[in-house]
Amino acid sequence: MAYYLVFLEPRNGLVAGVSADVWHRVQEQLFSGDRVAGFVAGSLSSGALDVLQGSGTVHHALSARPAVPSDMELCRMLSELVRKEGCTDIFMAATAAGRRLAPAIAATLPASLLAGCTSAYPDEKVCRRYIHSGSVLAAYRPQSAIRIVLQGREHRRVTFSSLERPRCVAFQESPGILRDAAPLIRAIIATSSSEDISEAGIIVAGGRGMGDAGRFAMLEELANLLGGSVGASRSAVDEGWRPHSQQIGQTGKSVAPELYIACGISGAVQHLAGLASARTIVAINSDPYAPVFDVADYGIVGDVREVLPRLTDAVRDVLRKK
Amino acid sequence: MNIAVCICQVPDSASAVAVIDGALDMTRAAWVMNPYDEFAVEEAILLRDRFPGSTVTALGTSPESGKDLLQKALAMGADRAFDVRSFSPLQDPFQTAWVLAEALRNLYGEALPDLVLCGRESLDFQNASVPAMLAGMLGMVFTGPVSALRAEGEHLELERETEGGTELLVARLPLVISTEKGLNTPRKTGIRQVMEARKKPLEILQASQPPPPKVSLESVETVSKKKRCRFAATPEELAGMLHADGHFRHISGED
Repeated sequence: MAYYLVFLEPRNGLVAGVSADVWHRVQEQLFSGDRVAGFVAGSLSSGALDVLQGSGTVHHALSARPAVPSDMELCRMLSELVRKEGCTDIFMAATAAGRRLAPAIAATLPASLLAGCTSAYPDEKVCRRYIHSGSVLAAYRPQSAIRIVLQGREHRRVTFSSLERPRCVAFQESPGILRDAAPLIRAIIATSSSEDISEAGIIVAGGRGMGDAGRFAMLEELANLLGGSVGASRSAVDEGWRPHSQQIGQTGKSVAPELYIACGISGAVQHLAGLASARTIVAINSDPYAPVFDVADYGIVGDVREVLPRLTDAVRDVLRKK
Repeated sequence: MNIAVCICQVPDSASAVAVIDGALDMTRAAWVMNPYDEFAVEEAILLRDRFPGSTVTALGTSPESGKDLLQKALAMGADRAFDVRSFSPLQDPFQTAWVLAEALRNLYGEALPDLVLCGRESLDFQNASVPAMLAGMLGMVFTGPVSALRAEGEHLELERETEGGTELLVARLPLVISTEKGLNTPRKTGIRQVMEARKKPLEILQASQPPPPKVSLESVETVSKKKRCRFAATPEELAGMLHADGHFRHISGED
């Protein structure tokens, strides 16, 4: 029987939406006898935990200090909770913090770390994930009694709803020893949320075929219309047209949108490696033999600079008629 | 400043990787330094040159041609290199981190290095786990992936990307840091640097048998992502097809 622990990441005093999704995904997969616990640290707005539905207990670590606990403190608190409660599976959203924390906890407990699974572990007993730029699908079997699962966007489509609410237990965090050693966050240079491509449901991405940085305005227009984000290929980033935070592919981000529109992107294997979890791919390219058409569901051969404005107008038209 | 850099090798192209009889076949692969590790080596050398008396030690765990990998790090400017050998191939990030932690303890004793630099992830398996696991095993503080680094004595000013934007951090040594693209521009090495590298110390360090892997590779299969692409003649037709197939259904709502 499984005992799940969900790491709930606070964001602006609330539970991050991605963490709530992981929580509900776990609730959805419970078998009789399974148990769930949540863990959240730091100060929260009142009612912040009301978004969580289903059974279980949420352990809320209160801190005397206003600051967010460091990764090391979080790792210590989570490891202690896992040992005390006897949790078998730790679920976390694959955020920047989750990706730092999961391997640290895996080394501490120790536990088997499963990340980037294409199959929804633990429905299957193995974690299937792409390796070698998406050219090989590997099945990994956890060997430890405790598993840590980092869940990406592709596993957070949930429809769970329940009248039940988890119980919340607040406790005073015991002071850590390595407090001074932890890095201090001095400032956050914010970007708008629409620029976070790893969470985007629709992505309009541009490559070398865009020709220059200015033409990305066309992609922004289409992305705004569709409620999506703009991404870029490595060559567009190397040209300095877009920031690295928007790069998709092997040396950039892996994305999992419902709809991916590749504009002037030839489709090098390194770029496609970041698209393994994209559901539907649309390709616009002037070269009919571009490899991107091999992985695309829809395609149009033509110069993006001519196709895009017309496509944007046409999409606006069909959306208006809707 | 004592700086250690942990590096590995990856196939230069994923297309050289094949699956034969249910196992990975790497015989056609040419091996190169993992691109993210180049940023780590470059940053180590930049820091060494800024702080007199510093030493850069490169540690490699690649079974294939570890010597070439370490020669490259030496050619880039590392002062000494260790080829960390294990009795059997390392099977998961836990074993790799374990072997590296042991090697660092053997080399530095309880003092440990002031700074350990690793690439964000290896491009072959992309687990991105070794740096944080290594820090955990050494009891050192980890942060990353870092896209900017400014050193002021014992303090480092770092930048890392997160969901909400770029975080500006102030951290104190000792630290384990993983390096992100954009941190620097790794130098190219010429024949002169390669020749000089041959005079630098490159030793073999035998690792003990690590604990069993926490994750085991059970099977591999090649994947074909080829799809049947439906071509549209005009942008208007394309918009119509996407709409008809329901791809704009979620627009104006969540997702």
